[in-house]
Amino acid sequence: MNRSWVTKLIVLAIASVLVLSACSSGGNKPGSGSNSGSSQNATNVNGNNSGDSGQSGNAGNAGGQPSGAADSSDPFGGWVEGLPKIEAPEGFDWKQFEGVTLNVITENTPPSSGLAANIEVFEQATGIKVNIEQVNLDIVVEKAGLDFNARNSNYQIIYADPYQILSKQAKHFVDLNTLNNDPTLPSIPGGLEDFIQSQLLVGGYMGDKEHLYALPYDNPTMVLAYRKDVFEKYKDLFMQEKGYDWTPGPDMTWDQYYEVALWINEKAKAGVISEVKYGTGHQAKQHDSLMNDFSNVLAAYGGDYFEAENLGDIGTENPGKSLLTSPEAIEAAEFYNELLKIAAPGSTTWDWNGLAEAFAAGEIAMIPEWHEFAGMFENPELSKVAGKVGWTILPKGPKGRGNMYGGTSIGINKYASDKEIKAAWLFLIWATAPQTQYMILDAGFTPTRYSVYQLPYIQKAMNDPESQEAKEWPLASSLIAAQEAWKEGNVYMRPKIPMWPQIDTIIYTELSKMLAGRQSPADTMKEIAKQSDRLTGN
Amino acid sequence: MQQAASRPLMRKPKRNRTEFWMLLPSIVVLAAISIFPFFFMVYASFMDYSLDMDRPRFAGFGNWADTLTDTAFWQSWGRTLVYAGGGLLAQLVFGCAIALLLYHIPRFRNLFSTLFMLPLFVAPIVTGLLWRFLLDPTYGLYHWVLNTFGLDIQVLGDPSYAMFAVIMMDVWEWTPLITIIVLAGLQTVPEEPLEAADVDGANSWQKIRYILLPMVRRMIVVALLVRSMDILRYVDTIVITTEGGPADATKTIGYYLMQVAFRFQDIGGAASVGLTMLLASILMGRFFIKVLRSEEA
Repeated sequence: MNRSWVTKLIVLAIASVLVLSACSSGGNKPGSGSNSGSSQNATNVNGNNSGDSGQSGNAGNAGGQPSGAADSSDPFGGWVEGLPKIEAPEGFDWKQFEGVTLNVITENTPPSSGLAANIEVFEQATGIKVNIEQVNLDIVVEKAGLDFNARNSNYQIIYADPYQILSKQAKHFVDLNTLNNDPTLPSIPGGLEDFIQSQLLVGGYMGDKEHLYALPYDNPTMVLAYRKDVFEKYKDLFMQEKGYDWTPGPDMTWDQYYEVALWINEKAKAGVISEVKYGTGHQAKQHDSLMNDFSNVLAAYGGDYFEAENLGDIGTENPGKSLLTSPEAIEAAEFYNELLKIAAPGSTTWDWNGLAEAFAAGEIAMIPEWHEFAGMFENPELSKVAGKVGWTILPKGPKGRGNMYGGTSIGINKYASDKEIKAAWLFLIWATAPQTQYMILDAGFTPTRYSVYQLPYIQKAMNDPESQEAKEWPLASSLIAAQEAWKEGNVYMRPKIPMWPQIDTIIYTELSKMLAGRQSPADTMKEIAKQSDRLTGN
Repeated sequence: MQQAASRPLMRKPKRNRTEFWMLLPSIVVLAAISIFPFFFMVYASFMDYSLDMDRPRFAGFGNWADTLTDTAFWQSWGRTLVYAGGGLLAQLVFGCAIALLLYHIPRFRNLFSTLFMLPLFVAPIVTGLLWRFLLDPTYGLYHWVLNTFGLDIQVLGDPSYAMFAVIMMDVWEWTPLITIIVLAGLQTVPEEPLEAADVDGANSWQKIRYILLPMVRRMIVVALLVRSMDILRYVDTIVITTEGGPADATKTIGYYLMQVAFRFQDIGGAASVGLTMLLASILMGRFFIKVLRSEEA
């Protein structure tokens, strides 16, 4: 009898340990896995994805005329003519927080890599020690959630993803207005108005504009990457057969995109085109990337996910009823389903990284992709298509255009001590300052400040693809398209609502079933709408 | 007489105290890593509890009702049965076959055993990355081989093949564990029955079928016990390769749990799912222990 109870206890203990360790390992593994490769920033809901994309330029070091001189109001140096200065109140002691240690948790993105590489600039100027932990976005969400739930501040500075963190946890962030308006502290150089305003809305606020929770930090956006060499070489042949100029540009429609992709497939199969195998490729794995890819088409067809207003900028608690049963949404799903039938077969296995690798391997002529991948495509060590890639905004549909935006901001954990909060504010000032953004361009960073784009160096790089500046800063080629994509009517911003992670999962799971032929596009839209409404209580 | 009767009464408590103090560290560790979390899971399963809430609220059987009426939950269990059943069966067959092969190798047995064990030393995350790389449609070696034979299939992108692929990854990694346990058992089999079988004219298959396998049957059950409880929770390679897709084809209960707990941050819901996994693990453990006992009898 005793032996039996001992056996039962052992079995119970082993089973408990196994199940509990499943919980813990499950949460950690995706992060470790997705961060182990050179371009493995998987599960990145916002597409901040260049990762280790091998940027080879040194734009930040080469351009402008750095003043080089650090003065009392700006101890960081690196300011160049034309940029707003970091300024502090008279007599401000930049070293008053010396000895404080700040922990930053952020996704592994270009600005994080750039800041980490240059962190000694901040540390030497302030005496504040900064540990930047770069992990997969899921891990950021998990660790921030644990900190907030326990009212802890293991991380004083947090990568505030608008959809997975800010929308649910805004109340746990310091209202930055209080710090920005504090006369004893430095204020945001150039003011809030120097941030790209649409990006400030989506990344800085939640629900209303009374409280500012975070400052724009990065801004990846989906645009169209295409093979210039292929489109130039076969332009006349396509013109002869189809009767129009096929070069991707603002006038291209999704129907034309489909026609062009199909034509390339046929010519590649017939051996006429040898440079690529497929006309189009997509990030259509059962993953957040699939939702992003589909949303571009959905918006172009006039569809949207929910009926409430301001969903895409300041966000709301209740998104209202799902709009996916609308004729526009169903038509978009039908088109997307057809488009994926002619896409590179690997599309259903690719997220944004897999798609970028396939494009860089020279297999595909056109892909909708996050603009930050330009650095990878232009790096000959990582790409066979360096120097051959053109960028433009995504095609338009019957009722408009959609270029998915995926930017993120950084904010301060309100459970940090007063001293840490003020020290963290200095970090935010520096990390989002125009001169810092300019300094880390070579890390593949895309500025979030208007003033940086006005610099002659940036203008030259973006407007003259053959210039030395453009060669030093490969992201320039895609940024022209990204800037066009940010314009109202072109950009698509997903709903910023607290239950977005669940809705997102429903969307990409059901779309994956549609692409596998398990359900029709109309049924897919109805199923997503049904599940979404049940979740949101509408 | 009185003295004789009182002696044991005085000594018994002393022995109990000694045992108690010796066991205490283990009990504390066990309580910390297992018993407390278990009771916390039970508590959480009755609470409306997510990471963005100020404090958990009592939810009664709400989480249990949501979990048990969720079609995706039962579908995930269905896939887990396929995953665990297919994986264990294949590992059993391959594991025993390789163990017998190694057992019959007259020379370099240790060398070959070590080589066969290598997958065991690879971290599960690395296994996932390795297979994802091999099956990648752009530069994957296996994908290229399949293409060369005219099989233009997307192994990880097609629901028809994805589950088979993740089972094979598990088989590749864990078959050596079965092998090493069975091989250890084979090496304890005495020579006499085999020599007697030789005298009786038994062939190799008959010796395996009627002597070796029956004598290592208990070792096989132990190996299956360990693996069966492990495979239920195993999600590492799935996370890295398919993330539950395509079309939910590889969303096992472990992946479902991970999604509820960490993506949706629904700790209450995750606790109820986790407890069903605990129950399944206990039932499976009891089943194998029963088999072991019947072997002993």
